[in-house]
Amino acid sequence: MIAVVVVRGGALPAGADETVAEAGGRALLIGDGTAAAAADLRAEVRQVEIVEAGPFAPGAWSAGLAARLAREQLVLLPASPDGRDLAPRLAHTLGRPLLAGALEVSAQRAVLARQGGLVAEEHPIAGPAVVTLVPGVRGVEPLPAGYRPPEPGVVTLSPGAAGVHDAEVVEVSPPDPSTMDLAEAPFILAGGAGLGSEEAFRTLEKVAGALGASMGATRVVTDFGWVPFERQIGTTGVAVDPEVYVAFGISGAVQHTSGLGDPEHIIAVNTDPSCPMMAMAEVAIVSDAPAVLTELAARLEA
Amino acid sequence: MSPQTFDAVVVGAGPAGSAAALEIARAGRSVALIERGPFPGAKNMFGGVVYGRILDTLVPGWWEQAPVQRWVTRRATMVMTPTQALTIDYRTDSWSRPPYNGATVYRADFDPWLAGLAQDAGAELICSTTVTGLIREASGRVRGVRTDRPDGEITAQVVLACDGVNSFLAKEAGLYPHADPGHFTLGVKEVLALPREEIDTRFGLSGLEGADFEIMGCTGDIPGGGFLYTNLDTLSVGVVLRLTGLTKSGRRPEEVIAGMKSHPVIAPLVAGAELKEYSGHLIPEGGYDAMPQLSGDGILVAGDAAALTLAAGIWLEGVNFAIGSGAAAGATAADALAKGDTGPAALSAYRRRLEGNFVLADHRKLRRAPDFILSERVQHRYPAMVCGLVEDLYTVTNPQPKPGGLRAARRQMRKAGVTLWDLARDGWTAWRTFG
Amino acid sequence: MPTVAAAVKWVDRRPEVDPLTGAVTTDARTSGMSEADRAAVEWALRLGERWSWETLVVTAGPPIAESVLRDSLAAGVDRAVRVDCRADLPSPRVAAALAPALSAVDVVVCGDWSLDRGSGSVPAFLAADLGAAQALGVVAIEPAGPAIVDAERRLDGGRRERLRVTAPAVISVEGASARLRRASLSGVRAAQRAPLTTMAGPENGDHGGGALRRGPLRPRPKVLPPPDPSLPPRDRILALTGSLVERTPPQRWALEPSQAAERIIDQLRAWGVGAQ
Ligand SMILES: Cc1cc2nc3c(=O)[nH]c(=O)nc-3n(C[C@H](O)[C@H](O)[C@H](O)COP(=O)(O)OP(=O)(O)OC[C@H]3O[C@@H](n4cnc5c(N)ncnc54)[C@H](O)[C@@H]3O)c2cc1C
Ligand SMILES: Cc1cc2nc3c(=O)[nH]c(=O)nc-3n(C[C@H](O)[C@H](O)[C@H](O)COP(=O)(O)OP(=O)(O)OC[C@H]3O[C@@H](n4cnc5c(N)ncnc54)[C@H](O)[C@@H]3O)c2cc1C
Ligand SMILES: Nc1ncnc2c1ncn2[C@@H]1O[C@H](COP(=O)(O)O)[C@@H](O)[C@H]1O
Repeated sequence: MIAVVVVRGGALPAGADETVAEAGGRALLIGDGTAAAAADLRAEVRQVEIVEAGPFAPGAWSAGLAARLAREQLVLLPASPDGRDLAPRLAHTLGRPLLAGALEVSAQRAVLARQGGLVAEEHPIAGPAVVTLVPGVRGVEPLPAGYRPPEPGVVTLSPGAAGVHDAEVVEVSPPDPSTMDLAEAPFILAGGAGLGSEEAFRTLEKVAGALGASMGATRVVTDFGWVPFERQIGTTGVAVDPEVYVAFGISGAVQHTSGLGDPEHIIAVNTDPSCPMMAMAEVAIVSDAPAVLTELAARLEA
Repeated sequence: MSPQTFDAVVVGAGPAGSAAALEIARAGRSVALIERGPFPGAKNMFGGVVYGRILDTLVPGWWEQAPVQRWVTRRATMVMTPTQALTIDYRTDSWSRPPYNGATVYRADFDPWLAGLAQDAGAELICSTTVTGLIREASGRVRGVRTDRPDGEITAQVVLACDGVNSFLAKEAGLYPHADPGHFTLGVKEVLALPREEIDTRFGLSGLEGADFEIMGCTGDIPGGGFLYTNLDTLSVGVVLRLTGLTKSGRRPEEVIAGMKSHPVIAPLVAGAELKEYSGHLIPEGGYDAMPQLSGDGILVAGDAAALTLAAGIWLEGVNFAIGSGAAAGATAADALAKGDTGPAALSAYRRRLEGNFVLADHRKLRRAPDFILSERVQHRYPAMVCGLVEDLYTVTNPQPKPGGLRAARRQMRKAGVTLWDLARDGWTAWRTFG
Repeated sequence: MPTVAAAVKWVDRRPEVDPLTGAVTTDARTSGMSEADRAAVEWALRLGERWSWETLVVTAGPPIAESVLRDSLAAGVDRAVRVDCRADLPSPRVAAALAPALSAVDVVVCGDWSLDRGSGSVPAFLAADLGAAQALGVVAIEPAGPAIVDAERRLDGGRRERLRVTAPAVISVEGASARLRRASLSGVRAAQRAPLTTMAGPENGDHGGGALRRGPLRPRPKVLPPPDPSLPPRDRILALTGSLVERTPPQRWALEPSQAAERIIDQLRAWGVGAQ
């Protein structure tokens, strides 16, 4: 098994360490700045190869890596944006099945998340395959004391890469809070059915704006059309991973909380002290959520 | 773009609208059936029992093809206080055979079936489309509808408003004098999942047999009633609450259902069932005296839009009245179209049709029922009195001698605050209402 | 005439998943296009308008899947093709089934991932099959010239990437990138009667990619650093169970709205979040 990790500007993608660990410490890094990235790996590496290949080009890279990867039984990539792009192209070039979105991989089987993360399917691995591993599900063993990573071996893309039609990378822009979407927001104020009316959501929007937070909602709310669908947090909406989450009038159904990531701090405001959202909260306030929002808006305006 | 043109346009693919469209299409007229939901019945809720007699003429042999959960073979009326319950429990084998009496159905199955019949007959069903207003001539004559779609105007000789309770089309056409919240009840229900065999055991059913319980005295201080119906592998449990009383009580409807579900008689029936869905809907309960004008210039109103629901104690029937009135409206529209006159005089034949069948006859007969059923005495005092009386008669008190029936009755009347005069008066009302 | 196509899938938008067994119940009545696929149709229409190209919609699936084609035609797509096959083919075979219907197409727009499988790989396989460039998980498309678009794509950590994509190309878009226009009444009526093309798909026999087992998703145990081996056994056990770790106990208050607002503001300030 070998981990294939796409590197951009020397930076590793989410899930790189876990993928390398799951692959038993064998890794191939491809992209630009791969040597620096190899030194940054926080998983114990037994063998690492680097391919300086310039900007991301999934078509050309799979053609150029085919010969090198053909002898690997399992090729494992993190299910980060670049990993998800490259994996099917590799599978296609290598003529192998793709097992996408794995939670766990071994030589014989992979457990895959399906139905937007509600269902797990166990698939047999009969022959060579390409697998993507969901970031954040595994964790990584700490490096042993006195560990020194092995010297990377340098690999070059085979000539097959020329002539494959790929999109051209124009620029990569750094994170920008103003265009940041919910999935990336570190601080979220969300509302549920307990807010009771569309007006309450306009207030929530205002309060979130004043606090520099992003606004989220439950499906009940997006179903009503009070808030657009792209603000829905949960299994059928956006998966988020904020540091601070404030829930107004949200009961905390699993379909909602399973898209919530692992916030460091949660505040919940609800009239029902024993609903799951209140049980999850570090600060649980039993109060009328729409009224609390009105009060918050008044205070933040002043 | 020029408007789309049909002979008739029916707004709302509920039971009323589909029945109307079916009749018009069968008469060979072009008809559009406009539904705001993504499919008929998508958002429609109701308690759960359809009485099919009305379908006998419209869809002969309907029971062979209608999407039915269970056939009601057991019908019970319960009168309860917080700790007691008296049940009249009737079951018959004859309801488990064609032509059947009632059936539990899911609206998401039943409504598409009925709309499908209309489509098969030639009606054009257009879903995910909301009618936003009437197109009217200067004279006030209705000539079609506007929808929320781009270039969404539809012109027609006649518009059939089958858009459900609190019909804004009937109001826009000036057919509703004013909507009085006292004339509406709120129906809320939960669908609870339970394995089929478990339902069979708990309710003593087998095969496709089903049970239908109507419950009085289960809504606390809010005037109303409750129901419990069996589907194949779910139960429909709900309450119907007078709006004014609900507002006054400050309680949430789901609390009232929870209260009913925890009653010692109901609790074992619903124990361990998993909540699948919760929904609520208004019911026009004003009865005969709160109905709008049923027709106007180029417009007919049917079903809940015309407040044609019979909600009176042991009856909670709307679908059959919706189908009956929808079919009558459709037939009237078809006749009018054939004669080339859809003016107010021609369309007033609709009311005469309804007077001539069960739709208005039942409503006229039961016109006093809603107020009577929802009165303080019927809601609270009589259940307490009757339950108390039966308890007295069934309790073995020896070594004390048994109380005489009459003495027990007087004692319970006193306890429940019921006078002989009340009994006489309400007895008379009940006789006039239901007799 | 050059063509821009949308590839869309017929799926249940609200499948029921049993939390205990992981059994999935779907219902044809709540099935249709995902938000992402609807956005794909909208982008196909926009590009078609911008370049005066023909628009096409394709789906691979059973006859009942035709509803997504009619929904697309109602919104203004010119032509529709269904590739006949079963609904549960694995992604490479879906792409292989779609490819012949798209061989003469210059730009294909897909959704970023489908609701039921959610691997997002069909567009990439399709690009490989068609020899096209790919841009996946795109949040915005800007036509940059004839048959050229600039696409903005999300990377991890909040970074974004701008790609210049030249036809032939397969682009997959996020659901929030565009909202499908509302079909006109005449469009809906015409679409109900419009002719559709059906193409034979792959043999239906074995659908491949079968699962051994299926159940509700349970997170796998995460790897944690082992406790310091120099500690005595009792302390190691305590460290593993977390019993000695200090943590803030959950706090619960019943508060008047005004007090609650104060409390929230104070708490956020204490955590160092929120403006000011
Ligand atoms: C297949 C599937 C997928 C789903 N996907 C998602 C998803 O992606 N995202 C999602 O969110 N849901 C999803 N759901 C729906 C989910 O199961 C819940 O129904 C939903 O999350 C509940 O939303 P809610 O908390 O807003 O509403 P409710 O559960 O109705 O909770 C409302 C809460 O507000 C409280 N409240 C009421 N009044 C007040 C008041 N005045 N002040 C304060 N609190 C008050 C109540 O006590 C209650 O806790 C999915 C369901 C299914 C079956
Ligand atoms: C809790 C409850 C329990 C009940 N129990 C029973 C029972 O057990 N048995 C029984 O027979 N009856 C029962 N009823 C009554 C029954 O549901 C109604 O009487 C019946 O549904 C009326 O049918 P309808 O076609 O007139 O209206 P609806 O079924 O309300 O249909 C109206 C249709 O019009 C559509 N519509 C509305 N406005 C527009 C618009 N502007 N544009 C396009 N479409 C529109 C709606 O989406 C809907 O499909 C119950 C009702 C409730 C609330
Ligand atoms: N059967 C299909 N027919 C047409 N398009 C499909 C099909 N399956 C997937 N797609 C397209 O590929 C996208 C990603 O799907 P998936 O790879 O299954 O997550 C979808 O949003 C569709 O645009």
